[in-house]
Amino acid sequence: MHQVEIATTRESLLDAPEMTLNMGPQHPSTHGVLRVILKLDGETVMDLDCDIGYLHRGMEKIAENRMYTMIAPYWDRLDYIAAVSNGLVWVETVEQMMGLDVPPRAHYLRTILTELNRIASHLLWLGTHALDIGAITILLWAFREREEILKIFERQFGARLTCHAWRVGGMPNDAYDEFESDVRQFINNFPKRIDEYETVLSENRIWLSRTVGIGVISGEDAIALGLSGPALRGSGVAWDIRKSRPYAAYGEMDFEIPLGENGDTYDRYLVRMEELRQSRRIIQQAIDNLPDGPVNAKVPKLIKPPVGDYYHSIEGPKGEIGCYLVSDGTQQPWRVRVRPPCFINLQSLRKLCIGHLVADVVAIIGTLDIVLGEIDR
Amino acid sequence: MLFALLAAPTLIDTLLLKFFSEQTVNYVIWPFIQIGLVTVITTGWVAYATYLERKISAFMQARLGPMRVGPWGLLQPIADGIKLLTKEDFIPENADRWIFFVAPYIAVVAAFVVMAVVPFGPDWAVITDVNIGVLFVLAVSSVGVLALILAGWSSNSKYALMGALRSSAQMVSYEVSMGMAIIGALMFARTLSLSGVVEAQASDSIWFFFYQPVGFVIFVISGIAENNRAPFDLPEAESELVAGFHTEYSGFRWSLFFMAEYAAMVVVTAVATTLYLGGWYFPFVYKLEVAGYHNLYVAVSVIVFLTKCGLLLYLYFWLRWTLPRFRYDQLMDLGWKWMLPAALINIVVTAIGVVVIQGLHNPTGMRTIKSLAGGLGLTLTGKAIAIAFGFGNLFITAGVLSLINWRSRDFNLKKQRHKIRLVDLPKGKPAVAPIAAASE
Amino acid sequence: MPIVPVPKPTFADKLKRFFMVDLLKGMRITLAYNIGALTDKDAVAGKGIYTEQYPKVRPDVAPRFHGAPRLNMDPETHDTLCIACNLCALACPEDCIDVIPMDVEVVVAGKARRKKVLDEFIFDTSRCMFCALCQEACPTYCLELTQDFELATYSRAGFVWNREMLEQGRETVKYTS
Repeated sequence: MHQVEIATTRESLLDAPEMTLNMGPQHPSTHGVLRVILKLDGETVMDLDCDIGYLHRGMEKIAENRMYTMIAPYWDRLDYIAAVSNGLVWVETVEQMMGLDVPPRAHYLRTILTELNRIASHLLWLGTHALDIGAITILLWAFREREEILKIFERQFGARLTCHAWRVGGMPNDAYDEFESDVRQFINNFPKRIDEYETVLSENRIWLSRTVGIGVISGEDAIALGLSGPALRGSGVAWDIRKSRPYAAYGEMDFEIPLGENGDTYDRYLVRMEELRQSRRIIQQAIDNLPDGPVNAKVPKLIKPPVGDYYHSIEGPKGEIGCYLVSDGTQQPWRVRVRPPCFINLQSLRKLCIGHLVADVVAIIGTLDIVLGEIDR
Repeated sequence: MLFALLAAPTLIDTLLLKFFSEQTVNYVIWPFIQIGLVTVITTGWVAYATYLERKISAFMQARLGPMRVGPWGLLQPIADGIKLLTKEDFIPENADRWIFFVAPYIAVVAAFVVMAVVPFGPDWAVITDVNIGVLFVLAVSSVGVLALILAGWSSNSKYALMGALRSSAQMVSYEVSMGMAIIGALMFARTLSLSGVVEAQASDSIWFFFYQPVGFVIFVISGIAENNRAPFDLPEAESELVAGFHTEYSGFRWSLFFMAEYAAMVVVTAVATTLYLGGWYFPFVYKLEVAGYHNLYVAVSVIVFLTKCGLLLYLYFWLRWTLPRFRYDQLMDLGWKWMLPAALINIVVTAIGVVVIQGLHNPTGMRTIKSLAGGLGLTLTGKAIAIAFGFGNLFITAGVLSLINWRSRDFNLKKQRHKIRLVDLPKGKPAVAPIAAASE
Repeated sequence: MPIVPVPKPTFADKLKRFFMVDLLKGMRITLAYNIGALTDKDAVAGKGIYTEQYPKVRPDVAPRFHGAPRLNMDPETHDTLCIACNLCALACPEDCIDVIPMDVEVVVAGKARRKKVLDEFIFDTSRCMFCALCQEACPTYCLELTQDFELATYSRAGFVWNREMLEQGRETVKYTS
């Protein structure tokens, strides 16, 4: 197995005492309640430790005492920024365990709304990442686009953020009346906006100085650490669950995967910006080819998957989000385990940050795109 | 109404002369009135600079900014001031009390005192015209660095100390290049007095910006770094050190630091306007003086000056809300390896330019110099040569800086941007649960 | 810090670097936004101002919005539509609903029968997730989540709503200025 080399603390030449700095749970740029303890030599990070658990709510335990349909609203609160994907992984796990056939219209609508959700999550990532590095205006512009998406979610699902979007077997309601025109209006405006963000950031020398060569991880190390999502693709590894094990309507969509070269922050940034464009392409295809029909499969009155276990994962905006479900044949699951992409991506923080300056730690936390709701559950 | 206002100075003068001797009136009372006016204008300008920053940044971000307090939010600075005055005043436990008290006051004083020598207008619109005005400005604004260090040290907090040390190192580095950049303009002005500089530009009907484009750019960039404003605001970047040297300050003391920062911005814009953008001089305003409306001439000149300051202030806001911030080592790199050599090259090239102009001056043949009375007055030929040297300097500086920094990392921006590749992976098979398949 | 290979800059790149072309391009967009904020009316596709000045301007809430709960009544008879079936309480993941039935004597086809009707309905909005499972469970479309989102109160007890509050709705102060 590939051994990951992590730089250990070295003896500083002048034997000066190293300073321990606590980027505490309340900090403007540790996206959520993350506590990072840094051991610094001047400004260089010698060692790093993460302290998590401030947002632990016992979701997996709660799930053991709820029925399958009731668990879905809790799952939105995992990665609360991209709640629709979380709901999708839960619902798909249960559907696949029970062998239900979801109608194609539901698959297409799921694809459209999940891709909108991916765009919303990437926009928030872009805004906060740029904010941490200093370009504050991008946050406000990204939130304006995100607001449009959240309006679509509100009109479709009834809630903006924690949507409770899907039900086992399909969707609770069909697309609302102006769904198509709203989505088309959004995807018509969107390329211009991406170009605006890219003009301000992608060729900006300050941005490049802050992100090129920062937080480099090679492809083999990334696979060894279990990274997934844009963090993995930024290092050049071609792996996307939408392609390798298609779910919803991705099997019929035509899109490409952006791959980075060096595995630094700038590559991950470029990968996510390109994913915004590819998501838009997917939505365009899906809304052009939206089939008619019902949006709900025939689901038994009581949802009781057969006895056994099953793991299903989808490509969430932050990486591979998975659900391992152990069912004992009753109406409540025996054990549910979430494979949280942000938690696993966060494990690489130590390797990425050692050797860099304090100012880079903030950039690296931003590039990993972490959401504490998912890390702590 | 306007004429009444403009006749006011003469009326007040006659009134005062009835009660006091002429010497007292000219050397004590008028200066106090001027100081009062300048303080009011500066404080008002600083307060409304905060309002303008919020509004302009809001417009750049597609939002509205302050709108609730007063029409269009115009009373927002007053509301902020009242709020800060009524906040709890607390001092951290092991802080050094007296230094903690004194540090904000030093910062504010250092920023405001400089306004005493800045020429707002021609005749009575400058409080005092010190012979060594430029030196005075540089010296007094350096005192502001002291305030930073004292604040960081006395707060007894790791974050504050780190922020203060970084801030002060940054400010000192950029002061060097600021001072060096000024020398180029002074070669044309031939005096250190700020009013003299403006008069040199006025009498020659040109702004020194045309002679010294590189100097202007270096001065502005160094000024922005001097003020700890973006893109050089790492020491007070919220995302890292919470607030740098003023982390532990709250309420009125914090508002003093805030005012000191904006006052320092006003100072840098004022000095930049004076040295490079012609100060209160604007091409056709002199006709008012010729026509006899002296006070109106002064008033319009003050408005011209404030407008130019306003434009440079807009540049400050524009840069802050567009550009990301530099990391500390990149910042220091910029100050010592780019700004300072550029400033030195500027001095050398300008000096060569002036020598060439003086050398080519032949009272019977080509005449380049008009007069050497107030500043270097040049004829049209002389001006052309000076402008050519000024803009040629751009390319010389570009070349020499690239040579000096040949090892620094430079980017091929277009290629860097497009280096990700798009691949189309072969589609796999959708997931099927083995249980469901088995139970069918 | 590992050194990452970057493509070599060309001469044009060096000139562009000196004249700060990349920074100026970004600044041009910000300037366009600044001017657009004053002149452009289109906020969604253009550069206009996107702010909605709540509470002066009431927001456009979607019809499906999961807001405050309400017990609907029959429009003609003003009787409650609730049949005390308890399905909403069973569907709720958070156990916020308490349906208290009572037995009532009713004459049906000449015979006296006992019918279960609703006595009291307790809904704890402080525990509610607004997931709308209760709304979906209700067979008579009685329990509905409305578009009211201003649910703040001054006391914890104020979050627990009884039948009367659910039927008549709460009088909220609408801020208009």
